[in-house]
Amino acid sequence: MRINNLVKAILFMSISLLLMSTSCEKDPEPDPIHEPTPYSFVIPKGFPTNFIIPEDNPMTVEGIKLGRYLYYDDRMSGKADEGMPMSCSSCHKQEFAFENGVGKGTGTTGEQTDNVMLPHINLLWNPGAYLWNGSVASIEEDVVGTVYAHNEFASTPEKVVAAISAVDMYPPLFEAAFGTPQITMDRIAKAISQFIRTQISFNSKFDQKQRGEYQYSDAEERGLVLFQTEEGADCFHCHGSVGNPLFTTHLFYNNAKDDNFEGENDRYSVTGNVIDKGAYKATTLRNIELTGPYMHDGRFTTLDQVIDFYSEGLVYSEYAHPLMEKLRPPYGIGAELNPGEKADLKAFLLTLTDYDFIDENNELSNPFK
Amino acid sequence: MMNLLNYKTIILIVLAAILSLASSCEKDPEPDPQPTTGKLQLNFDFYNEADPMEWGIKKYTNAAGNEYNAYYVKFFISRLTIFKDGEATVLNKFHNSHYVGTDVAPSLQWTIADDIEKGGYDSLSFTFGFNDEDNESFMFVNQPEVNMFWPEELGGGYHAMQLDGKWRLSNDSLTGFNFHLGPGQVYNTSGDITGFIDNSFIVSIPSSDFVINEGNTTSLILRMHVDKWFTSPIEYDHNTYGGSIMEIQEAMEKVVMNGWDVFSIVK
Repeated sequence: MRINNLVKAILFMSISLLLMSTSCEKDPEPDPIHEPTPYSFVIPKGFPTNFIIPEDNPMTVEGIKLGRYLYYDDRMSGKADEGMPMSCSSCHKQEFAFENGVGKGTGTTGEQTDNVMLPHINLLWNPGAYLWNGSVASIEEDVVGTVYAHNEFASTPEKVVAAISAVDMYPPLFEAAFGTPQITMDRIAKAISQFIRTQISFNSKFDQKQRGEYQYSDAEERGLVLFQTEEGADCFHCHGSVGNPLFTTHLFYNNAKDDNFEGENDRYSVTGNVIDKGAYKATTLRNIELTGPYMHDGRFTTLDQVIDFYSEGLVYSEYAHPLMEKLRPPYGIGAELNPGEKADLKAFLLTLTDYDFIDENNELSNPFK
Repeated sequence: MMNLLNYKTIILIVLAAILSLASSCEKDPEPDPQPTTGKLQLNFDFYNEADPMEWGIKKYTNAAGNEYNAYYVKFFISRLTIFKDGEATVLNKFHNSHYVGTDVAPSLQWTIADDIEKGGYDSLSFTFGFNDEDNESFMFVNQPEVNMFWPEELGGGYHAMQLDGKWRLSNDSLTGFNFHLGPGQVYNTSGDITGFIDNSFIVSIPSSDFVINEGNTTSLILRMHVDKWFTSPIEYDHNTYGGSIMEIQEAMEKVVMNGWDVFSIVK
């Protein structure tokens, strides 16, 4: 009997021993009911390794899929039943590199936006100052702002949520993207933002040249030199270069278009800093061929007009940015390019067009078609 | 009796094993080694003569009599080197540069990654920009560094500095100056580029002795005296070379010459 007790004691201690040894490992997390699939992508050659994905909105395969539908769904205005359908894609059309191709946008009420549309290109790398004056801190914030804006959706989150909730296909898509089928404005904004962050343009002739897959023509080569030399057209200080393939510094400049900036919705209206008067974002030049009209107010309809402006049309004011150093009155009003140089510069700019980006069969296209 | 003893022995062995395993869940604490190193931190600030620099529209007058303002300065320093008893140690060998932009607040403080042996040091120096060996195109991919790219047609690599502002012309209008430094070019009589010139230079700072204490970070202020870019030994007149000098080696040479006393250490 005593021996049996001892055997039991040994067994008890052995079990304790096993329990204690396994207690050294952490308890496993309970299996999630549903987890969206993390989205992975390859950073194109030469592109920044620092990109902007909010901690509370990680990119997922399901979130991007949902965002793509919402981006193209005219019920997003929440006013389709009032005869005023509108979606992101109403003003950000793929054929124009997700710009609208006509200049200022027109909202559901017929009111025009203050400035022309900005294209959705490589915003994954935008460091957090969106729109022409940098007044918006995130894509998510911009989506919600579009819903409210009197000259865009002129709607409310409640209307938008109700309209999207009424569509049978969406609850399962929200469940896949966020774990539960609840539809909220926050989730709508997050999903659309995820999709916008996949709008990456990286296969223009310029990119192919950088990868050794394309050789510039003589005109394109000469145009590149003009683009990124001070004695040439000196575009690169504001718009990036071979070494900055986003083709924007994401900074704000007064580029000498005007001499009066009263009442403008410029960078100064955001910062209150006098040097920002008349300053607007130096937009990306990727796909610039497709994203006219040009400048914040769309005053130029063609690239030729833009080149003419920088060549001989700068307007003096004390607020012009120092990088507009060719503005040196009374005898300096631009880069003073000759016709051949203008043609070369344009030839280089056209190498920034990415036809794969606007391919209507790619994964950025309208999923309803 | 023997059996009982054997069982007691077994129990003792098992108990010892349990205790041993239980205690094995916790790692034995390593005794803390006494640190023999500390860190060095540089904080950048900017003065114009005796006062802190006011970036923007504040009017200044340089030694040549140009009325000017400056919007910002952006620059790289590399190969930070500390000296002790005549011996030089290059810090930050694995990331041997730092970008400073007056419009990028985090860049105004640089804690050097290297652990530095405690003790007193006589002075420090650094390369303003990158020397020819270090100045490789495409070594940066992120902003703001990529915005300093120097076109390969003009020598490649990166700007050492962009000091941008405006000066007043004789006709009273303000025009931009881009006081930029980077590789210079050698031109032949046809105007073709036949070579490049390394315009980086080493800044040795007098009275820059400091002490590194074990386990602590020593903070120094590295001050740029903006006015001195235009002062000595050359009185730099913006009217001489105009607003853009990236392709004017004669002008950039003057920038290099004036750079010798632009920095000081404030303890």
